[in-house]
Amino acid sequence: MKSDLLIIGGGLAGLFSAAVAAKSGRKVHLLTYGAGTLTIGGGIIDVLGYDNDAKPLKTPEEGLEKLSANHPYQKIGKHTLEKALEFFKEISIEEGYEYIGELGKMQWLPTAAGTLKPTCLVPKTMDARVLWHTNNIYVVGFDYLKDFYPQLVAKNLQKVYGPYTTITAEMCSLNFAEGRDVSSLDVARWLDTKDGREIFIKQLKNKIKPKGVVIVPPILGTLPNYEVLDSLERQLDCRLVEAAAMPPAVTGLRLRMMLLSYIKKLGVTVIEKALVTTAITENGHCTAVVTDNFDRQRAYQAHSYILANGGLYGGGLKAEPGKFIEPIFNLPINTPATIEEWSNVNLFSDKKQLFAEIGVEVDELMRPVSADGATLLSNVHVAGRNLSGYDFCYEKSGNGVALASAYKAAISLQGRDEYE
Amino acid sequence: MSKHLINPDKCTACTSCVAHCPVTAATRKFRGPKMVGPALERMRLSQQDEDPSLEYCSNCKNCDISCPSGVPISTLNMLARAKHFESNKQSLRDNILSHGEQMAKLSSAIPGMSAITNLGMAIGRKSGMLELVGISGKAPLPSYAGESFIKQFKKLRQENFPDKVVFFPGCFINYNDPQVGMDFVAVMQKNKIEVVIDEEFVCCGSPLVVNGYLTEAHDNAQKNTDIITKWIEKGYPIITCCTSCGLMLKQEYQELFALDAVKTNAKYMYDSLEFLTILKDDGRLNKSFTKFDSKYIYHAPCHLRAQGFGLPALEVLRLIPGLTIEDADAGCCGIAGSYGLKADKYDISMSIGKNLFDRIIATGVDTAVCDCGTCRLQIGHGAKVKTIHPISLLSKAYS
Amino acid sequence: MLTAEYAEYAEWLRKGRDNIALYNRKHSVPSATSAYSAVKRYNMHHRSTRANSIYGLEIKSSPVVSLDGLTNAGVLRGALYFLIKESRAMQKATVVVIGGGATGVGILRDLCMRGVDTVLVEQRDLAHGTSSRYHGLLHSGGRYAVKDAEAGKECIEENIILRKIGRHCVEATEGFFVRTPEDSEDFEVKWVESCRKVGIPVTPLSVQEALRLEPNLNTNIKSVYRIPDAAIDGFRMVWQNVASARKYGGRVLTYTEVISIESVNGQVVGVKVRNAFNGQIDIIQCDFVVSAAGSWAGQIAEKAGIKVNVQPDRGTLIAFNHRIASRVINRLRPAADGDIFVPHGSITILGTTSSEADRPDDTVPSTAEIIKLLDIGAVLFENIRDYRILRAFTGTRPLYSADPNAKGRGASRNFVILDHADQGLKGFVSIVGGKFTTYRLMAEKVTDLVCSYLNVKTECRTAIEPIIEDPSPKLLAKAKLYFPAYGTNLAASRLGADGLEQVVKRIQQKPEKSQLLCECENVTLAEVEEAASDSTSYMLSDVRRKTRMGMGTCQGAFCTYRSVGAVDATGLSWSQDTNGLFKEFLQARWNGIRPVLWGNVIKEAELTRGIYDATLNINGAIEYEK
Repeated sequence: MKSDLLIIGGGLAGLFSAAVAAKSGRKVHLLTYGAGTLTIGGGIIDVLGYDNDAKPLKTPEEGLEKLSANHPYQKIGKHTLEKALEFFKEISIEEGYEYIGELGKMQWLPTAAGTLKPTCLVPKTMDARVLWHTNNIYVVGFDYLKDFYPQLVAKNLQKVYGPYTTITAEMCSLNFAEGRDVSSLDVARWLDTKDGREIFIKQLKNKIKPKGVVIVPPILGTLPNYEVLDSLERQLDCRLVEAAAMPPAVTGLRLRMMLLSYIKKLGVTVIEKALVTTAITENGHCTAVVTDNFDRQRAYQAHSYILANGGLYGGGLKAEPGKFIEPIFNLPINTPATIEEWSNVNLFSDKKQLFAEIGVEVDELMRPVSADGATLLSNVHVAGRNLSGYDFCYEKSGNGVALASAYKAAISLQGRDEYE
Repeated sequence: MSKHLINPDKCTACTSCVAHCPVTAATRKFRGPKMVGPALERMRLSQQDEDPSLEYCSNCKNCDISCPSGVPISTLNMLARAKHFESNKQSLRDNILSHGEQMAKLSSAIPGMSAITNLGMAIGRKSGMLELVGISGKAPLPSYAGESFIKQFKKLRQENFPDKVVFFPGCFINYNDPQVGMDFVAVMQKNKIEVVIDEEFVCCGSPLVVNGYLTEAHDNAQKNTDIITKWIEKGYPIITCCTSCGLMLKQEYQELFALDAVKTNAKYMYDSLEFLTILKDDGRLNKSFTKFDSKYIYHAPCHLRAQGFGLPALEVLRLIPGLTIEDADAGCCGIAGSYGLKADKYDISMSIGKNLFDRIIATGVDTAVCDCGTCRLQIGHGAKVKTIHPISLLSKAYS
Repeated sequence: MLTAEYAEYAEWLRKGRDNIALYNRKHSVPSATSAYSAVKRYNMHHRSTRANSIYGLEIKSSPVVSLDGLTNAGVLRGALYFLIKESRAMQKATVVVIGGGATGVGILRDLCMRGVDTVLVEQRDLAHGTSSRYHGLLHSGGRYAVKDAEAGKECIEENIILRKIGRHCVEATEGFFVRTPEDSEDFEVKWVESCRKVGIPVTPLSVQEALRLEPNLNTNIKSVYRIPDAAIDGFRMVWQNVASARKYGGRVLTYTEVISIESVNGQVVGVKVRNAFNGQIDIIQCDFVVSAAGSWAGQIAEKAGIKVNVQPDRGTLIAFNHRIASRVINRLRPAADGDIFVPHGSITILGTTSSEADRPDDTVPSTAEIIKLLDIGAVLFENIRDYRILRAFTGTRPLYSADPNAKGRGASRNFVILDHADQGLKGFVSIVGGKFTTYRLMAEKVTDLVCSYLNVKTECRTAIEPIIEDPSPKLLAKAKLYFPAYGTNLAASRLGADGLEQVVKRIQQKPEKSQLLCECENVTLAEVEEAASDSTSYMLSDVRRKTRMGMGTCQGAFCTYRSVGAVDATGLSWSQDTNGLFKEFLQARWNGIRPVLWGNVIKEAELTRGIYDATLNINGAIEYEK
């Protein structure tokens, strides 16, 4: 199978680079092994929340310049980051699931732990700005949902929003027949149905004062549209905000569906359960990548390649005692040999975790480089979590780096630099 | 695949499989692939107990497809089910549904018997006899063909070519839908390839595995593998048109039974449509198709998606001039072999398939294309459209 | 009431406010309960021979909240006066046992069963030390047969006893002794002969049969013997001993550090202790002190000015994600590093290393130790590196030697009772050395000694009386209605009859409490609540040790949020700083993850950080503009 561009990885970086490349008319093949980490993450675009000293930033933009030189954003540049966010928002509008936010504004989103987290682009179901414009906040949980505790959220948010805001925890009953434990996804499926919405409204109608704001777990429907949100807000005469919460991430699943829908319309071929294990390279040029299945190896050829198969979690990086490995191209990964140096004594500390920052070093076109900075592969570009130089948990920058690097990689393909 | 790797170790409990499991979405009686698979597997090794919700796993393999870590989730479930049935007896219903091959052999042994069997099923449906044993009276039961594929094949005169392939028809094509087999032979002939049949092949074992008859399935696996080894040693590739048979022969034999020969054999075993894409890439696919003016929708069987080589049917069918075919991309159809035929699973199965049915109906096409026999039954039943195997469509395009 | 007394009470009340609230919630003291009735209840306890037992520490707090609503000045006055008096008297026991490990709780139980008023003090949580930081092997004695016949004999005898009295803690897996090509044939002969002499039943098995039973074993093994080894759950054993001791009036104070052992004229009169959380200092008056502090025994003795030569010796172990064998697998060679695999419920433990420890709490495993264990372990299980590690942990063996130069494995593992009357301090005994398998025997011997001093003639019954009662078939049947599959048996063996009954009650009242907070180890919300409400729980790790919550595949990635939410909802005084709870629990997991940060472990760590750092932002400062 031959294509213009072959993308390895079906997470945010892979899907988004497919969108960028396909939009520019390329024939794109995307190989994915598993459903990507969008199922786990929150489906929101964190760009940059904290500086290197763990100090919260006023805006994501503000922190960009102070990042160290090897941070992906420094290589990508603010202009491209902006372009990436813009294109992402365009896609979301086209798909009927608009994301809101901008680089110059920090959004502080409530979480299931009753904290706020700094982020940049969110779907309209997570527009937390409304929380500042009300005196009545309700936190609604469900009696059988073990992944969201409204009292805990309300209690902790009270410290954030201060004594002049009334924050009330409410519990909604699920009318489920007995069965397995309930997840947010189950509740979202329930609210997909007319029956579910009616029962939900009936229970809340008397508890919620009009114009209040209701914080809920991510349950406002499984599909990437705002039908559930709009219908509930209309009937309850209030605003709803989904909190960032535990997996399975309903909001992440919506984002995944949205991007898949977009790229498939553009003719991107998605090949599932295709585990790329090795690549064929000649003179610094990749000629094919090879998948290994239960039956046999298959070679996929393309003009260019984007390596977006994730980091430690996704399988794009593997750690063994004393070393990190990039398993497909065997790219050099600079790693201290002593494992105790990979991490801080405290899991949650005021320092970035080294193991999170370890990854592939790239040049200005996101192509892998050797220890002395020489470009190793002329037609392979790297995007997403396998890049070195950032700790997405500490910085709150995960999906932002994914979008920006994917965009940068997709516009850096040979002979297509007119998009810059 | 080494036995010691069939374990829950790669699972990080991330819930990806739970989010993508169609059965989990359709019923709360199923605790989901993560719990029933890797999570409880750790308990199974120390506790004598079984989770009753295990019976809801349809072995559709969407868990395996969505798992980012390569956990053999469905295999763990099937092995656990087999273990459960070591000390519990399967129902008559499960026995019947697992042994379609035996029933079919009986039917086809006597001329005209298949018609009687089909009639019997129709009567059974009307009289409630099927429900009595636990088979849904509403479900789309396969009917038996008047003459099996092998019988028809033997009457067929093929043109001889130096390139030969061995065709593994599988029970469904052999007994229920022989036309797909005949079309396959026709397509091969158009590409200057001769098809060889081995009458010693037995059921691949897929229906046995899902109903817990693991020992029988293992016997079948050994038999088929021995036959396949013999042909491969002679240099013949092995081709299947049924995606579940293909998955079983190449992959599940390795996962469930750790048969050493399979790893080598599988290199020479192909899905019919993938085989055609290889011919295409080699520049030797016969592309002299007649022009079509019709629109189709394609449903990719889960057991094809689980094999990790994409959707070759679309690639091949799109070569036919004038033919437009759209990927339904709407998830599992719900039937999962015999799962949707079971009375207590029928509603779940239809609920799973609803997305797909709605999608097909919305496009307004009159025919859906799909590589899997039971998926086609379900689509016909749920979306009320005609269905066709891509090979049959291709065969039409050649004539 | 005297003003001074009232001031004292007020001060005490302030300090104890947390405990009061805690007590009232835990024991569901309704706010309407009058001080009078609480006092009456208290009095009744004091009349019993078991003294102020069941309500233990909390008795002083029991009626206090109820005072708020009281108007009857007479009752109030009387109650307060009584409380002030009694709150002092409460800190009194005949015997104080120091150390909440297996030996300590064994002694507590034994003393209480013989009617001796006993309180146990533990500096951290029960089973926090070596009793949970070992491989969890109930020795058959095979490992000691050659070198130390006496230890071997003790093991096989105790092995048989513990299977009977502690059947909820023991998994009768049996064991294999496996000789690999690297091990000496001569030793095998010697070993078989020694086992025969000691009386340890040993049955040879064909290699083929052994591989059929344990297919993951290396196929090149040379010979295999069956032996009655078993797995024993350290946490559960300790916890169930305490549950039993409490029934006999025993009291337990956790997070209570010993500051000094007080004596007058060479006779012990009490123990000065400090609450680890609020620093409050108390004196427990007593006639006798037993130090069962294990690796800390030297430090404890020092507090009485006595030298006890205990050298803590580090042993590091690896917990694997699943049962790679169904039996205990021992390497048939002279005892050395990395030669025991023990299947433990859902996991397998490989141990152990041996090296001198700097301190008794020198329990951070090093990567070098892990790699060494894996290298050695690969001789028995060739695919060992394919199996997922969950975490690593380190304990310290309390090696006692009269000879200060004896070190490591060479030092005796037999136990010794030191009566410090010999050094001029009456009423103080240390028990040192020993091993988990013989904890009951050790307790029996110490208790015999203490009883002889106290002139208590009651016989020891710990060898015949089961530690906890089996849940009745009726209760089990009832539990099965509420618990998910697997859950019932697992919970029953963790909880025993009484605990299971409580948990079932909670679920009956609120069916949603049957949800699994910990899906890896099958722990229900109700069980977490039950464990959290125990008076020895002060943080989520304490709940973990009682339930196994967070000890499975995801190492807290999912159950941390759920359990924080669940304990927060209980309103317990310790459970309100939710960000603190998150961090404490996950940090405790992290300590064992950090040295093995590769493969699936690092993957899981990335997921955990993704959830708690990136998604829930439990660590980030919040500074926003409207």
